[in-house]
Amino acid sequence: MHRLLALIGRRLWQLLPIIVFATFVVFSLLQLVPGDPAVTLAGDYASKERIEEIRHLYGLDQPLLVQYGVWLLHAVQGDLGRSLLSSAPVVDLIAQRLPNTIVISTYALILAAAVGIPLGVLAATRTGSRIDGLVTSIASLGVALPSFWLAIILVIFFSLTWHWFPATGASSFMADPLRALWHATLPAVALSVGVIAELARQVRSALIEVLNSQYYRTLRAKGLGPGAMLWKHGLRNVSVTMLTLLGLQVNRLFSGAVVIEAVFAIPGAGSLVAYSAINKDFPVVQGVVLVLVVIVILVNLAVDILNALLDPRAAA
Amino acid sequence: MRRRLFYLSSKRARIAASIYERSEREDEMADSKFTMDRRDVMKATAAAAGALLMPEMGWAQAAPRKGGTLRVAMPYNPGAIDPMTGRNLTDLNTLYVVFDALIDFDPRTLELKPGLAKSWKFTDPKTLVLDLVEGAKFHDGTPFNGEAVKFNLERYKTSPRSNVKSDLATLESVEVNSPTQVTLKLNRPNAGMPTILTNRAGLMVSPKSIQDAKDGNIDRAPVGTGPFKFVSWQDNDNLQVARNPDYWQKGLPHLDAISFKIINELPTAVRAVVAGEADLAINLQPAQKPIADRSKNVIATASPSLVPFLAFMNYSKPPLDDVRVRQALNYAVNRDEINKIAAVGLGQPSSAILPKEHWACDAATQNYYTYDPEKAKKLLAEAGHANGVEIETIGWADQLAMQRQEVIISQLAKVGIRVKLTPMSPAQGVQSYMVEKKGAMFISPSSAYPDPSQFYESLFGKTALRNASGMELPGFRELLDATMEAQEQGARKQAFVKLQKFVNENALAFVHYISPSVSVRSQKVQNHQDSLISVPKLGGIWLQA
Repeated sequence: MHRLLALIGRRLWQLLPIIVFATFVVFSLLQLVPGDPAVTLAGDYASKERIEEIRHLYGLDQPLLVQYGVWLLHAVQGDLGRSLLSSAPVVDLIAQRLPNTIVISTYALILAAAVGIPLGVLAATRTGSRIDGLVTSIASLGVALPSFWLAIILVIFFSLTWHWFPATGASSFMADPLRALWHATLPAVALSVGVIAELARQVRSALIEVLNSQYYRTLRAKGLGPGAMLWKHGLRNVSVTMLTLLGLQVNRLFSGAVVIEAVFAIPGAGSLVAYSAINKDFPVVQGVVLVLVVIVILVNLAVDILNALLDPRAAA
Repeated sequence: MRRRLFYLSSKRARIAASIYERSEREDEMADSKFTMDRRDVMKATAAAAGALLMPEMGWAQAAPRKGGTLRVAMPYNPGAIDPMTGRNLTDLNTLYVVFDALIDFDPRTLELKPGLAKSWKFTDPKTLVLDLVEGAKFHDGTPFNGEAVKFNLERYKTSPRSNVKSDLATLESVEVNSPTQVTLKLNRPNAGMPTILTNRAGLMVSPKSIQDAKDGNIDRAPVGTGPFKFVSWQDNDNLQVARNPDYWQKGLPHLDAISFKIINELPTAVRAVVAGEADLAINLQPAQKPIADRSKNVIATASPSLVPFLAFMNYSKPPLDDVRVRQALNYAVNRDEINKIAAVGLGQPSSAILPKEHWACDAATQNYYTYDPEKAKKLLAEAGHANGVEIETIGWADQLAMQRQEVIISQLAKVGIRVKLTPMSPAQGVQSYMVEKKGAMFISPSSAYPDPSQFYESLFGKTALRNASGMELPGFRELLDATMEAQEQGARKQAFVKLQKFVNENALAFVHYISPSVSVRSQKVQNHQDSLISVPKLGGIWLQA
């Protein structure tokens, strides 16, 4: 147990430098891309003097390190600043938007696990059969399909033609969970297809490896039934792979959400960061990146803890 | 922000063009309804008498219906809902519902109409007297009066956060003669001042709301006299306004509320209307019209706008410092083809910066340069570029812009003009070309100003940001001043015709076409008017049951 606690302590300690590093890299990238937020802020009718005034007004004429330092100093005190574009507090923006992203990402992850893992198991236990061929082809197709295209096709059929699901928007999960899920279904399906494909392929190959291993043959020689063998020994051995994969897919879902949120006009964190990055609204980008980094690290930590429980060697 | 789904075939372009012509014809027919002959008058009288006898029937159906919420999909999050600190043309979508301007305008012709000022006149070229309406109140209950006008104009002119200072550069001082009359003293003649007061600089904010706000910041808490009161705004998601029950224009507004939904992806906005989740989608691109036309339940319109697509030219840099090269550019492009490909045939091919519907536009200047590749080659040869010439050019990087730019580049290549294009984001392009003076050309649309004098100044004035050359050609200033000094609209138009001729002869602009403004609405939206400034006035809309 103390090894587990040590693992958690170590990981949380690592969080700090990762956050500082990630936000500094993002900050520098935003600065490296040519273009000046002052030009955006001065707008369609800018004059040269106005651009200079704005640069000074927002501290954009300060050196890069000073600007970053000021941001960091406020951030550690819980103040993520205000949007350059709309002067809304960044914390409010994130609080309004992150729940929508979490709903569609979690929904997509559950869908993906519920469909992808059984498909992988099905294919692995019947290697070379037609079912295997079908699953492998579907998985290849799923990896290749662009999610935004699939999203548009889903909208055309399920919203515009049959009116089963809404074409745009989101609803608060806290206020009305069923309505929120109804809104999130098409985005979650579009988002999950790539993950389903990935899970099915990886689970299949991991399980095939286990099924062909020496100890598995031994189990069979000892007379264990196929069901018990698969559940107790086969799947338990691929569970670490599955968990690690699921953890990695969380990152993928968050990045996929950027595109899917745009297609469905969902006010989520993905569309927020995309819009802000394009307009060089760096306080917002920094804030969202900070929160996403924390989420990804925490998810990875949870995966590591579960892995350590499943396979004590992993905690070492 | 400006990613656009773009598709096109020449057949679709032709269909779209024919639809546009058709809608223009319908507009003409609509106009002709206002010319009645004797029989019409008799019929109308009979109908009116009938309607009086049976109020439930006849005309009662055509009367605006009270109530309902208009759901508007728009692509851009407002920069701010303070007229002074917002920064883009599309902010006016929301500004015009919360605030009234001192002077109003007809959205289709931009002719001036009474607003919070019921009348105005120049007592001399530098003195503008405004007579204000009585009884108008801000949403916080404070009265609108001469003091409020003075407060607002002075704030716009002096606040460090003001983006509209340059609009009021010719305003010297404001004197309050009485609660219903103010005098604007100008530091030089500017006949464009009333038009300027139709836009941001004329929008009246409650002085109390500014005095009460921390640092006077009302970016997110606007209080105006407009038909709707501000309710809430969630960034990049939605913005809500509700009916102002004490609106000073009796009978307005018809709607209970307007719910703006901010949808950055234009195809998504169109789908929202088709699916019945929004009633009106505005600020769309031409490519959305043929898509929307395929749905039977929506109305898609394309109308002229004030936004020209052009190439800004730095005429202090070789080879563009030679007028013959600039003229050659203008002769080398086939504007019809560009319009068909880039605007689905819905724009106006033009070598002038104003659309033909604008009161200051001389239609002849639109066709000053026609497609003549031989003449372009001859001009290049005269300028010493018989073997062609290379022009460093900055352009936009989104897909639609790249397609537009490729057409222009391939047309120019045919006469020996090699465009060396560096694609960038719009803001980055402004920074590189206008601020850092990189490249000799910048292909981009240009937002128009409400008054054409301002627009010409912004494009060709010596200190204008968009004029990267930092110089003015001799003769330009006198012609521009004349447009501000002429008082009466006819005389102003003559001054603009001369100015545009000067711009054409010297090939100061390389305009490709005037872009259309496109909107899609459900059939229950009534009294929607597309506007020449691309921003609809939503205050008069009602919804059919």
